[in-house]
Amino acid sequence: MPDLMAPSEFRLALEQAFSGTMAKDASFSRAWATGKLNKQHFVHWATNHYHYIGPFGDYLGLIYANTPDHARDAKDFLLQNMYEEELSDDRHTDLLIRFAEACGGTRAYVQDRSNAMPFTKGLQGWMYCVSGREHFVVASAALIVGLESQVPSIYRTQYPTLINKYGFSEWEAEFFDLHITSDEIHGERGYQIVLKYADTPQLQQRCLQFVREAADMRFAYTKALYETYVLPDLGAWVETEDRQPALVA
Amino acid sequence: MPRIYFKTAERCVEFAEGQEVNVLRMAIREDVDVPWQCASGNCGTDRLVVEEGVENLDPPRRRERARLGDLVDQGYRLACQTYTRGDVTFSWNPDQVGLDASDSDRRGVSDGSDGRDDRGDSDGSDDGDAARAPRSGWAGSG
Repeated sequence: MPDLMAPSEFRLALEQAFSGTMAKDASFSRAWATGKLNKQHFVHWATNHYHYIGPFGDYLGLIYANTPDHARDAKDFLLQNMYEEELSDDRHTDLLIRFAEACGGTRAYVQDRSNAMPFTKGLQGWMYCVSGREHFVVASAALIVGLESQVPSIYRTQYPTLINKYGFSEWEAEFFDLHITSDEIHGERGYQIVLKYADTPQLQQRCLQFVREAADMRFAYTKALYETYVLPDLGAWVETEDRQPALVA
Repeated sequence: MPRIYFKTAERCVEFAEGQEVNVLRMAIREDVDVPWQCASGNCGTDRLVVEEGVENLDPPRRRERARLGDLVDQGYRLACQTYTRGDVTFSWNPDQVGLDASDSDRRGVSDGSDGRDDRGDSDGSDDGDAARAPRSGWAGSG
């Protein structure tokens, strides 16, 4: 077992754990950012995304229940994160459905579980499993560092395309703009919690393992979106355009 | 390397050339005591005055414009909504609270303000509140 890492070393290890499999680099994300998708593809994306992140409050609630009282700052962060997902302003899933409706979809279609890919249901199950069964700091590493902290890097390439190429209004695409900023803070606070409470070599290594696993899950999910919905229309994805520089916090 | 100078806290935070970073994230990461509450652009607790480097900031976002109103024209930005790609200097009132808090709690930034409403309402009235208020705010920030 490796030694306990200092916070700066551990942070770097966490960042490197998902740097090679970031969802922004998956075929579906790249096709989106370069304007290759149509609105029907977006409806499929919104539907699957709804079943992936719709229960995010549930996931956080399970982690909250597993977090001991002495980690009050971690509990408070989880509670605030839940509140912001559901109640602080527009419910985040409602913003997602607003976007789907702007693409020609309906609330009923998006919410119908049978319209989601099997892979999406698997991802949802993985998140319930990690949230409910892993140590709170490992689950926080997986869901907040491994998944939520990636969101700004994904949406910062997709949002300008939605506005400038597809002509969506800022209101229609608010789901993306909101998460570009809010998940910066959620992600950073997630790092702070993990750096503070992963206080044994075993916990640090398990955090790294689950960050890698989370990144793999999201990358594979995003790739599956392309293969299920876009491949029949556009064929295999070939990277032909200049890559955008990484936007890192 | 480019840097964010958090003047009120007398702290300077550097970031790598070519990056574009969220201001509040950098403050939290480096433990700089910028006041903030919701981090979603709703409460306005994290409003900062841009003293230098405005040309390095991204334009105000929809949520930020809605929350700050006229304050945007007075040089304010919300730390949670703002990205910078180069040198910038910010100041703020360390005691400031959310924009929906009571008038008695509202104070200007650390510029010698006399405590008048700093939202830019010329008559100090509350007329602009309804339009800028979120449907429900984070606890403590209105």
